[in-house]
Amino acid sequence: MDGNDQTCPKCKTTKYRNPAMILMVNACGHALCESCVELIFAKGSGACPECKCALRRQNFRIQLFEDPAVDKEVDIRKRILKEFNKRQEDFSTLREYNDYLEEVENIIFNLVFDVDSTNTNKMIDNYKKENKDITMKNRNRQSQEEIELEELLEAEKAQQSEKANSYVNAELEEKKQKHKAREKLIDELMFSDADAKSIVASHVQATAALAKEQPKAAAQAGGPVVKSSKFSSGIQIGLRQNTSSFLPIPKQQDLPLFHYSAPVFDYNGPSPPAIEVLGKLKYFANIRAANATERAGGYTEALSCCRALQEAMGGLFYIPQSGHKTAVAASAEETDDMETA
Amino acid sequence: MLELKHALDAKGHCLLEMPSGTGKTTTLLSLIVAYMKAHPLDLTKLVYCSRTVPEIEKVMEELRKLMNYYEKEMGMEQNILGLALSSRKNLCIHPSVSKEREGKVVDGRCYGLTASFVRARHAGDDAVPVCNFYEGFDAHGKEFPLPPGVYNLDDLKEYGQAKGWCPYFLARYTITHANIVVYSYHYLLDPKIAEVVSKEISKNSVVVFDEAHNIDNVCIDSMSVKITKRLLDKASNSIQILETTISNMKENDNRRLEKEYQRLVEGLRDANIARETDMALVNPVLPSEILEEAVPGTIRTAEHFVAFLKRVVEYIKTRLRVQHVVQESPAGFLRDIHIKVCIDRKPLRFTAERLSSLIRTLEISDLTDFSPLVTVSHFATLVSTYTKGFTIIIEPFEDRAPTVSNPILYFSCLDSSIAIKPVFNRFQTVVITSGTLSPLDMYPKILDFHPVIMTSFTMTLARPCILPMIVSKGNDQVAMSSRYETREDTAVIRNYGNLLVEVAAAVPDGIVCFFTSYLYLETIVSSWYDQGIIDQLQRHKLLFIETQDAAETSLALINYIKACDNGRGAVLLSVARGKVSEGIDFDHHLGRAVLMFGIPYVYTQSRILRARLEYLRDQFQIRENDFLTFDAMRHAAQCLGRCMRGKTDYGIMILADKRFSRADKRSKLPKWIQEHLKDTNCNLSTEECVQISKRWLRQMAQPFSREDQLGISLLTLEQLQSEEMQKKIQQRAQAA
Repeated sequence: MDGNDQTCPKCKTTKYRNPAMILMVNACGHALCESCVELIFAKGSGACPECKCALRRQNFRIQLFEDPAVDKEVDIRKRILKEFNKRQEDFSTLREYNDYLEEVENIIFNLVFDVDSTNTNKMIDNYKKENKDITMKNRNRQSQEEIELEELLEAEKAQQSEKANSYVNAELEEKKQKHKAREKLIDELMFSDADAKSIVASHVQATAALAKEQPKAAAQAGGPVVKSSKFSSGIQIGLRQNTSSFLPIPKQQDLPLFHYSAPVFDYNGPSPPAIEVLGKLKYFANIRAANATERAGGYTEALSCCRALQEAMGGLFYIPQSGHKTAVAASAEETDDMETA
Repeated sequence: MLELKHALDAKGHCLLEMPSGTGKTTTLLSLIVAYMKAHPLDLTKLVYCSRTVPEIEKVMEELRKLMNYYEKEMGMEQNILGLALSSRKNLCIHPSVSKEREGKVVDGRCYGLTASFVRARHAGDDAVPVCNFYEGFDAHGKEFPLPPGVYNLDDLKEYGQAKGWCPYFLARYTITHANIVVYSYHYLLDPKIAEVVSKEISKNSVVVFDEAHNIDNVCIDSMSVKITKRLLDKASNSIQILETTISNMKENDNRRLEKEYQRLVEGLRDANIARETDMALVNPVLPSEILEEAVPGTIRTAEHFVAFLKRVVEYIKTRLRVQHVVQESPAGFLRDIHIKVCIDRKPLRFTAERLSSLIRTLEISDLTDFSPLVTVSHFATLVSTYTKGFTIIIEPFEDRAPTVSNPILYFSCLDSSIAIKPVFNRFQTVVITSGTLSPLDMYPKILDFHPVIMTSFTMTLARPCILPMIVSKGNDQVAMSSRYETREDTAVIRNYGNLLVEVAAAVPDGIVCFFTSYLYLETIVSSWYDQGIIDQLQRHKLLFIETQDAAETSLALINYIKACDNGRGAVLLSVARGKVSEGIDFDHHLGRAVLMFGIPYVYTQSRILRARLEYLRDQFQIRENDFLTFDAMRHAAQCLGRCMRGKTDYGIMILADKRFSRADKRSKLPKWIQEHLKDTNCNLSTEECVQISKRWLRQMAQPFSREDQLGISLLTLEQLQSEEMQKKIQQRAQAA
């Protein structure tokens, strides 16, 4: 328990026997205690006693985790993630991003377990070349998540210090007030000529009123005054408050273009003459011609004539069927009934 | 009843304080059942949540009586199905599994016999054991629903035995169409269990939380996680098991892993569909965003996920290696884990879901060993989901033993409303009730809901059968108090001792005493021993002491009851917030007097409590002192309520602390106690207290028959229908 079973694989010292022992790890992920490191790597470089790979002394670090393999993995991961730092924003769909993440994970996995290392290294190099720009750009950019976290932390800090202060002040104030009230009561009892009972009663009333007021005031204030993070216009104060710096432009949807087609009327009778030919057919002979004022308003005799003709001819071919009435007839009858009623 | 009906009509939530022993359960059951019969469309189901198995059984008894009454009066079979549900441990009838003592083991073994892949294997190979009862249920049980009636746990078992069906799965299956379901809080409040059991309860149900004075703590516990070093070591072991299983599977049969992989690429859509159609209770552990998205690529394949888990566990291990207490917010934790081991927030959020999927794919039948790892995964999901209302506290050692290194990581929920919110949102009426809910206005605040009705009821009594008194000083006029400054004072301890001795001499049968903590109990008893008070006490009564050990305590309780039954009389020294104060009744001669030594404040130095107080202050504008007093007084009231379990019962309640007489404490007692607490009894000395109790006991000891109660606290049918009474009822209804 408690890391006491950690042993240096070289000299077999345990943490239990030597509490000051510090284990170190290098790139290969094998642990060594500090004194062994000094012994073996006195020259500055040497081979790992377990896997015989060449190591430099400078690269030894203190082992953070209980399992040295995890140390190694985290080390590799940090190195790889420096290069592979694309964000979700760089991909068009979530699926692609997830595929990319898995790819990265595969690479790390291969490096950690030394599977297919030549190919993997090649892949890394390729990627480096191809994505130089994005990598550089992303290095200076924080991901959305990180920004969110930072903001939260900042807000927490600000809130904490402020609230703590204001509450302490409020409590002190309250105590002071109570103390004052009590002293006032004693003073009054000592020096005033009024009846002691009435003085006490008025004091009790005053304190009750005060007690009633206080929670109300506290509720109104909403606790301590919260420092506003917005201007009155609603724009936020401070850096990085706005997660998106530009308003998104609402995307317009493309609808098919509108095509005009003349409406087709179903007269259910002989088709009346068209409005253009009415004059030629001398229909206007029996109709009052439109006067100047009417024409100025857009009215011509043709309009009313055409309308009258349509009404006259519409529905002439209609035959009511005795067995089942069509919907039109039924509705017509209904209106008739209404009228008669 | 009137208030309850109002709440049902309004389809809102309500908060009712009703004294214990006045027929709370019967009232709730009869009205809601009647309402269900009258408006079958508005109200389809009653979910009654209680705390312990004996309490569940009691509710089932009441329900059975009610149903019998219905049958007698209406003369026909009632078409109502009521059943109780408990854990597998209480319901299992498998010959070998049911012999297991521990609940977790039973669950694990049951899973090992009934999981779908085990049964599939059984179909191919008869040597693989399965549970015959579950097979029976699966083959026939689903077609034949349980006939209407009332089933408690034993009935279910009997029915299961007769039919050869598993009673546990039968009960769980029947929940969906039963009219009345009685089970424990956890089935509704603990998100991990609620997801499995209570998911499909329809929206127009009434939920009743009985004995709910501690409901906020239940909510908080269900969302909090405690991680110790040992748990992490066990989690590491199970990760190793996962690793070997995966590599085995890769060699033998890769198809299943691939299938899982394909499914994860598609995302967790199924669950989302259920939620959108409002079929399921929202699970706070499984936030909605997760359901909409696919599992992130970093943890999609099984090996990557195991490596990911390893990193998480190792990271937490390094965090536990601290020398001093650390407190940080989830946001800080997330940032640190990102820097140290490069884990983003998003994959963390998926951990719990991904782990359960992996375990399912690997077909691991023994789940008991994996519970530490599951705990860690819950922690990971919670910490990355909630940035507010939670805090992380890492303590390198316990407060009591600062030299022994025992690092613990507490991920503690500060906001009790998070766990209960889905319940309030989903169900049309939630009734929260208990004998002691005062002060009522605190509950809506800390649970963050708006009740339509909030009432505290008193008792109508034929005689003053409780005698609450506040004893503030001893015979020598030294103030009695358990304040920190004076609690070591020998004069105070001696006064407490004298009070107990004199009360023991005056009161017959059983006396129960409550102390503020185990530590305080032990110090007081040792100094009483030195002062010779124990000897004096034993001249009158036998002495029993509650300890932290459950077995020892139950032994003490059995003997205490024995001593009370045979007339020898006994004193039980116990602790507020302990096992005795919650759920054990001392009715009639078992508790003729309750003494409360000191105000049972919580241990205020605990960091978790501090964090919670701060949160309450910042979020809900509840002041520290208000909450502490509220918490102390509800526990005090709970202790006092132990001796009063019905209208024929009687008991003395002595509050032995000067601070109880202050208005802010007194006003927080339940109304039914306050009613009997006269001003003259608020500042007594030991002697006066004994005088008053003697007189009162003489009065109470008079024979008390049913006829005495008639017309006052008990009405016959004729009296109820009399014009005078009807008028009274009308008036009440209009006033309300």
